[in-house]
Amino acid sequence: MLLLIQYTLIFASVLMLVALGGCISEHSGIINLGLEGIMVVGALGGALVMRTLGTTSAVVMVLAAMIAAGLAGMLYSCLLGVAAIHFKADQTLVGTAMNLLATAAATVLVKAMNTAANPDNHSSEIEYVAARKMFIVNINGFEFNWFMIVAIIAVVAVYFILYKNKFGLRLMACGEHPQAADSVGINVYKMRWSGVLISGLLGGLGGLCYILAGVSLWKFENGVAGFGFLALAVMIFGQWKPTRIAVAALLFGLFRALSNTYTGFPFLLSLNLPGNVYNMMPYIVCLIVLAFTSKASHAPKAEGIPYDKGSR
Amino acid sequence: MRKVLKNQAVQTFAASILCILAGLLIGYIVLLFINPQGAGESILNIIKNFFTWSRPQSQLKQFGNTLAKTMPLIMCSLSILFAYKVGLFNIGTAGQYVAGACASLYAALAWNWGWLPCMLLAMIAASALGAITGILKAYCNVNEVISGIMLNWISLYTANTILSNVKETASPYTLYLNKENPASMLPTLGLEKLFNGNTNVTLAVPVAIIAAILVWVILSKTRFGYELKATGNNKNAAKYAGMAQNRNIILTLMISGALAGLGASLLYQTGYMRWECTQSSVPAMGFNGIAAAFLGGLHPIGAVFSSFFIQHITDGGQYVNTNFYSSQISDVISSVIIYLCGFVLFIKLTMNRVITRREDKKGAKQ
Amino acid sequence: MNKERQSEYAIEMLHITKRFPGIIANDDITLQLRHGEIHALLGENGAGKSTLMSVLFGLYQAEEGTIKKDGKEVQINDPNDANALGIGMVHQHFKLVECFTVLDNIILGDEPVGKAGILKKAEARKKILALSEKYGLQVDPDAVISDITVGMQQRTEILKMLYRDNEILIFDEPTAVLTPQEIEELMQIMRNLAAEGKSILFISHKLAEIMAVADRCTVLRKGKYIGTVETKNTTMEELSAMMVGRNVNFHVDKEPAHPGDVVLDVQHMTVASKVHNNNAVKDVSFQVRRGEIVCIAGIDGNGQTELVYGLTGLEPLVSGKILMDGKDITHASIRKRSVAGMSHIPEDRHKHGLVLDYSLEYNMILQTYFESRFTDRIGFLRRKNIREYSDKLIEQYDVRSGQGSVTPARSMSGGNQQKAIIAREIDKQPEMLVAVQPTRGLDVGAIEYIHKQLVAQRDAGKAVLLISLELDEVMDVPDRILVMYEGEIVGELDPKKTTQEELGLYMAGAKRDEVKKA
Repeated sequence: MLLLIQYTLIFASVLMLVALGGCISEHSGIINLGLEGIMVVGALGGALVMRTLGTTSAVVMVLAAMIAAGLAGMLYSCLLGVAAIHFKADQTLVGTAMNLLATAAATVLVKAMNTAANPDNHSSEIEYVAARKMFIVNINGFEFNWFMIVAIIAVVAVYFILYKNKFGLRLMACGEHPQAADSVGINVYKMRWSGVLISGLLGGLGGLCYILAGVSLWKFENGVAGFGFLALAVMIFGQWKPTRIAVAALLFGLFRALSNTYTGFPFLLSLNLPGNVYNMMPYIVCLIVLAFTSKASHAPKAEGIPYDKGSR
Repeated sequence: MRKVLKNQAVQTFAASILCILAGLLIGYIVLLFINPQGAGESILNIIKNFFTWSRPQSQLKQFGNTLAKTMPLIMCSLSILFAYKVGLFNIGTAGQYVAGACASLYAALAWNWGWLPCMLLAMIAASALGAITGILKAYCNVNEVISGIMLNWISLYTANTILSNVKETASPYTLYLNKENPASMLPTLGLEKLFNGNTNVTLAVPVAIIAAILVWVILSKTRFGYELKATGNNKNAAKYAGMAQNRNIILTLMISGALAGLGASLLYQTGYMRWECTQSSVPAMGFNGIAAAFLGGLHPIGAVFSSFFIQHITDGGQYVNTNFYSSQISDVISSVIIYLCGFVLFIKLTMNRVITRREDKKGAKQ
Repeated sequence: MNKERQSEYAIEMLHITKRFPGIIANDDITLQLRHGEIHALLGENGAGKSTLMSVLFGLYQAEEGTIKKDGKEVQINDPNDANALGIGMVHQHFKLVECFTVLDNIILGDEPVGKAGILKKAEARKKILALSEKYGLQVDPDAVISDITVGMQQRTEILKMLYRDNEILIFDEPTAVLTPQEIEELMQIMRNLAAEGKSILFISHKLAEIMAVADRCTVLRKGKYIGTVETKNTTMEELSAMMVGRNVNFHVDKEPAHPGDVVLDVQHMTVASKVHNNNAVKDVSFQVRRGEIVCIAGIDGNGQTELVYGLTGLEPLVSGKILMDGKDITHASIRKRSVAGMSHIPEDRHKHGLVLDYSLEYNMILQTYFESRFTDRIGFLRRKNIREYSDKLIEQYDVRSGQGSVTPARSMSGGNQQKAIIAREIDKQPEMLVAVQPTRGLDVGAIEYIHKQLVAQRDAGKAVLLISLELDEVMDVPDRILVMYEGEIVGELDPKKTTQEELGLYMAGAKRDEVKKA
């Protein structure tokens, strides 16, 4: 049971971070379908730092890995920013390309590094046993992860930014009615860039959190198994509002956690379902939830529409 | 000359070539970055693919293999572009492809069906999956990209579960078709003779090409195509004109799914590939279809050529120097190409602007 | 206010020339705005008014000419520069974020903040309430924009300018969306503002309003400067002649109507609203007969759009019945209604009327592509017939486009796009023609043409239902007027007997008849 709570919380943290990233980006008017790829790149950045640092103090390790993951995500999100903000590219297409590129590029890089270190090693894996321990505080068998705190901070921060702050007011104006924002001297391109970069930061952090969730070794060929898209579903279910997103993330986190822990429940085992059923669970729940919540959409009005200063 | 440059098809072609060159260049830079030594040779090998072999017979045989894998890719890119004409981004093609593979392999191995029924079942299964996305889109307003991704994973795990019943006991792979049920394999029609006895080249080749022509005819010459493109360009106007929108969305995704399902059957029923029941990621074929569709300028005939190119460099990936690099460099190149395809609209606009400016200058001089 | 001014003028735009590829939008235009005056800028659509204002706002850069503020030359490169010079504008289409409150909209871009960018809304509220008191602009700062009336939204826009201490206020076609009573209020507000020393530029093509409120008027025509006159020394006829270059015929020539059988019979129609939980159309009943034009008049947003959606099948009815030629079409699909003889010239030609990426010929068959003359039995399009048909319509209705039938609809001018839609809908030989704001955004020539077509349809014995927001059109074109207010029909008027003032009272909900509920 404790294990279920632990996994629920850690997967919910991943979903919260990434969904909040998506939420900020969409409030600025850019649909970020590349979150999946951003997560992979963030995870890669974090994993590389963990591998390079090797042994160091826990504080340095945790901070360095998080900063690396966030920066990597931000850097990668520039691909979306350039294409969607300045070149009016199809945001769906660009997002998809980013997802494919991230996994392919991460695989190529990690394999190259592994091969360079040891000519017989052609795997795309990075190991971080010692580093992972530094993220975790063991409380009576419950593995508390610092990312749980980071996720809560992110929820509070996004809430504050969106509803209490000048920046958030301007950001949302750009997602709802960019022409109005422009007419009062707000630089729409700049705000949209901020939205994309913040989503890159949060997506990158979420990616690192994801690979730290249950294992001490990550195979980059596998990507992040659709978590970026689950996060978007969380965002839609949360109606683009940070507090609701937090609740939605807990719900989805629970279903994801079940696939890791169902063997610990005699009741679930007695049902005798194949393990794949539990693997499918989060995706099925997501479809059902979307079917019931997508009809009345609260999406920002101008999202996905490229802004052109010339045409008013 | 200017007239030629203004032509839409020429512009699309030029833009695609630009994307390819830029993609290859970036791939080369990545290789250089990893290890400058073998980069030049490796990028050339990717471009050469089967020409890397020295004997013409081997070249032909490998060419046949690339061709065998091109056919499902053509089908996947047709699937993507057909849905895109209606304004739907069917990323679920990847999952529909999985459903097709699962249905055709299971019918062939568990029920001993012949090749045609297997193929039809693949199309039906994939099209049913497409229908789910369509119904969710039409009646519940669910974004087709997100539902498509979810269905991709659901179908992957379902296929793994179902096909575990027909797998080899010692390996995670499904049983060999040619041993268990040769009748389920696609006829080669004697095509293998052209490819140095490569029996992976089958009926699939004419089927895929005919499918491309059919899709082109439907889209450009028929009432159905007229309705679909109207819906894709302006769905409010389509509704105003009395077109049955929800029906068209569902029908489109069903056809799109059927195309992807047929693609899977065209590969797995050659016996060239077997399903791995423990695979943890969705086969890339459906995603590469996106690259092929956009690189082909969203034109069915263009898709045939772009699919061949994408498959060509994907296969070429195995000829890189594995002491330094991995074959996934090809995936990097094709995803960079997809990314660059996002700029095609901009490239075309720039071309037009340059041409008009030249014309204006000339006009002013005269 | 400054005691010593260097210049008589608050803002001067001298000899402004702005070219776009193919046209000269502004050709040597001079506009001088005095301190504390209301200055009208008059011109038809396409005369160059909005280009000139965009230059003033820094959205475009003029190729030639200078701009002076208080006699000193200034550079305006973007809207921020304009704001810094104290220039503010109420745009024709309000620049308001619908899901924000009035207060958030006013402070957006100029927010009072404390540490870490925290918004100080209490401070802003105080300032806004003080301003609204001073100028008589009543608003509720906490109301959300999507819930308030158009008049209130406009007051929000005015407060936005005052909040920024703007001295030069530009009103771009501010009366288009208002009732006659609200227009009167707005004019009083403008006079108050001018009296307080603000300089006002009032863009309009409505002569009566200019005569009523402006001190001076500058007229543009086809990108050229025609002249500036004192309104007290001129007449409407003179202004109109300056604007169009000839005396326009303000009235539509038509014979008296001879109404025949009932074609459209609407009984107790109720349609739900998409924006709020109430019904947008409430228990509406009316009839349209052969050989008459019936006009639904009203302020924008009183249920006309939903009424048309219900009528044409774009939205289902909540309750009620629609009969056409005696047959019940309440639940018929859009296609069935169209085939049964209903034509619909839609309100928004880009949203509904055209597939912009299709060629003109493909747009010409948008309502009839499935007929056997355009599609053969297998489902292939008959390209030759389509081309011939399209060429015929282009010729007959004088639709002008670059490359004829193969022109992409997107590249055509608004007037010709509208002509194409009208050609398509009229050539269908409808029994019932529903025309929604068919002249919106068109120039005088095109308007005249479209009015003639509507009257011709009536004279050919068709039933015509016109939905209009333009008072002139409502008074001149129809044979009967039904006024809609808050989703109900509140009055039936005879255009020959009623006055604009009376019509205005109905439109504003100040007066209503107990219209017979059939």
